[in-house]
Amino acid sequence: MQKLPLAGIRVLDFCQMWAGPHATEWLSVMGAEVIKLETANRIDYMRTVGAPKGLAGTGPDVGSAFATLNWGKKSITLNMSLPKAQEIARKLIQRCDVVAENFGGGVLERWGLSYAQMKELKPDIIYYAGSGYGRSGPHKERPAYAEIVDAFTGATSVNGYPGGEPNVEGVSPWTDGAQAMHGAFAMLAAIHYRKLTGQGQYIDAAMIEGSANYLGELVMTNIINGSEGERSGNRDAAMAPHGCYPCSNTQDESEWIAIAVENQNEWLALCRLMGDPGWAKDAKFADELSRWKNQDALDEHLSQWTKNFGSYELAEKLQKAGIAATPSLSTRQATHDRHLNERGFFVRTNHPVLGNVLLTGLPFRMGRKGRANFKRAPLLGEDNNYVLGKLLDYTEQEIELFKTEGVLQ
Amino acid sequence: MNQKALQGLKVIEFCEFVSGPYCGKLLSDMGAEVIKIEKPGLGDKARSWGPFAQDIPHPEKSGLFLFLNTNKESLTLNMDSAGGQKIFKELVYKWANVLIEDKPVKKIMQMGLSFSQLHKINPQLIMTSITPFGKSGPFSDYKGADLIASHAGSEAFGNPDEGVKDPEHEPPLKGPYHAADIMSGLTAGVCTLGAVLGRQSGIPGQYIDVSQQEAVASICRQQLAYYAVQGLTPSREWGRKKFGGFLYQAKDGYVVIWIGPHYPKVMQMLGDPEWSKEEMFANPLLRNDYIVELNQLISSWTVEHTGQEIVDLALKFGVPCSTVRSISDLVKDEQLEYRHFWQEVEHSFAGIIKYPGPPFRHSITPGRIERPAPLLGEHNEKVICEILGYDRKDLVKMRQMGVI
Repeated sequence: MQKLPLAGIRVLDFCQMWAGPHATEWLSVMGAEVIKLETANRIDYMRTVGAPKGLAGTGPDVGSAFATLNWGKKSITLNMSLPKAQEIARKLIQRCDVVAENFGGGVLERWGLSYAQMKELKPDIIYYAGSGYGRSGPHKERPAYAEIVDAFTGATSVNGYPGGEPNVEGVSPWTDGAQAMHGAFAMLAAIHYRKLTGQGQYIDAAMIEGSANYLGELVMTNIINGSEGERSGNRDAAMAPHGCYPCSNTQDESEWIAIAVENQNEWLALCRLMGDPGWAKDAKFADELSRWKNQDALDEHLSQWTKNFGSYELAEKLQKAGIAATPSLSTRQATHDRHLNERGFFVRTNHPVLGNVLLTGLPFRMGRKGRANFKRAPLLGEDNNYVLGKLLDYTEQEIELFKTEGVLQ
Repeated sequence: MNQKALQGLKVIEFCEFVSGPYCGKLLSDMGAEVIKIEKPGLGDKARSWGPFAQDIPHPEKSGLFLFLNTNKESLTLNMDSAGGQKIFKELVYKWANVLIEDKPVKKIMQMGLSFSQLHKINPQLIMTSITPFGKSGPFSDYKGADLIASHAGSEAFGNPDEGVKDPEHEPPLKGPYHAADIMSGLTAGVCTLGAVLGRQSGIPGQYIDVSQQEAVASICRQQLAYYAVQGLTPSREWGRKKFGGFLYQAKDGYVVIWIGPHYPKVMQMLGDPEWSKEEMFANPLLRNDYIVELNQLISSWTVEHTGQEIVDLALKFGVPCSTVRSISDLVKDEQLEYRHFWQEVEHSFAGIIKYPGPPFRHSITPGRIERPAPLLGEHNEKVICEILGYDRKDLVKMRQMGVI
């Protein structure tokens, strides 16, 4: 059987919440052994988020948020305020290739695990430090909440409908999503370099700097033309029609379709599908620029037509005519989406607390079979015996003692 | 000379506009050699996109193109010509170890560039395809765009976060500009690099299928889990159920404040009003049922203060908070200034302008813009003559024949 691309790489993962754990989750799904270290008075908050009905507050393994952000990892629980626990962590670092953390400020330094100290333990270690604003500068201590960083970077100011107010983003790609993916990329690049040269290094990853790249188009517009960008809803700078239109609702859920018409041929195909209505022959809609300038009227007409169809039915009609379209999926609809399911995007997993659930896999498909490590997320401390016994060669008696002394929790 | 994390990686980028080029930029800024294949004439669509200084369009002055194509080389190739396809395959055979492409499946088959065909030429080749819905499944030949990925990935349905007042006229909202495209490029970058590491440890070349829909849906994973486990899905009216990160009107604009576990600090900031002690707000288990009422009370305080006053108080009390800032505020930001984030780069047409620096900082192999985006076809001679060994007369012929 073919091995996974990161087989043989071991990661000590101190990351918590969203961006950090999702970054190391990528390494884990690609085959690295990721050992998540939590300390009992500071477990990953996501372990409690999104619990099934009736289970909220009943323990550290109820969080569906945690389950979807920590595929394939192992879990150990050391009380890092004790010197013995710090010693165990130091031993573990000697057996690792990457250490990742996203604490606000220098928590690892307080535990005697600064990068300089780690390098003494393991000269070729790769140390990834993720944070909201970076590990230097006047804002270095500020916490990284997605909604706050979005407001800070300007992303919120351009999220909204034409002529409307700014809005907080639902799921913000600019912040946690971008930080996680940039973080995974940064660690993989460092591993690549280490394989070439044997050298490790330190990575300082600031969410706002990732966002400033993510917002690169707007940033360049500002630098070149002084523009602040604008809230343009579902509209595009060049295509029209380009928007999201109502469909006939099913059950209690509203249905919508997104349509993007790129050129005159697609427009003519759309007109044919609509049965060449009289309004579409108006000079206001005859060419690309006129359509773009008369979008309010255009969208109004189009909405009257789209209302007659279900969103999937209409998307199929449009795509068959060569026009880009999709139902605007709610999370419920996405979960039942035939295409995503046939591609195996969701992974069914059996979790001792959450039960038999369908969670989101990663969009990673390598090779024909697309194999990857989708072992369910670990229960708190599930791998204490493996890590201390197998990896670090502590005896059963020693491990028992660590438990009674509160080193292992 | 700087050390490069991705030295030795040789990438063909057969992509245009935003998603594929962002993937290529991640690789080239970290030291991979990236040759970009552009169509003769107009080149990459991003060259026509702007922003253009003084609104004067010019293919070498588009801000989007300049940003997305740093450190790359440009080869113009007419991929509808037999000669263009031949040069492409020679490059795969003699030079490349990674190919990134964003073309429809049918087009790739027509050009004879499917993975099984290219794998025969170069067994070590990693090929990454970025398509709207991926290369398998019932919708695999559907067309896409940034808009389509945002809506198909379920991001748009839950935006805005706090729901809308008029669901009939405020449809699901895509993230602004090309957010879904960039997420697709970023996903392609991570997947590609994973395969490169696999090859370093002996796994042969692989095919990687990146779906833009999945790239976006993947970052909605927490909300998808809520549906799977709790049956919760956002409605247009209510948006996503949350504990913090709400928008409030200030005297002179807007602020965003995160309540959640910071409730006591938020209340201190407000001067511990009487109502804050009421059970419905003080009890964290009840609070979320009364979040609308709570936010109204907080708003009645924020609207009396300027954004700056609120941010200053928030810092004092340790409350996560920011004003809703503009893009100018980001470009002039003191933290980014302090960290020397911006990099000034000179380009022969666009002049000296500043660019965003790398999204992460490696201590030994920092990403850097060492040269600006290439001019259209700037490296034709280098690729055709130096790498592939044709003589100058052939180069001229290819030009005359419309191959390059």
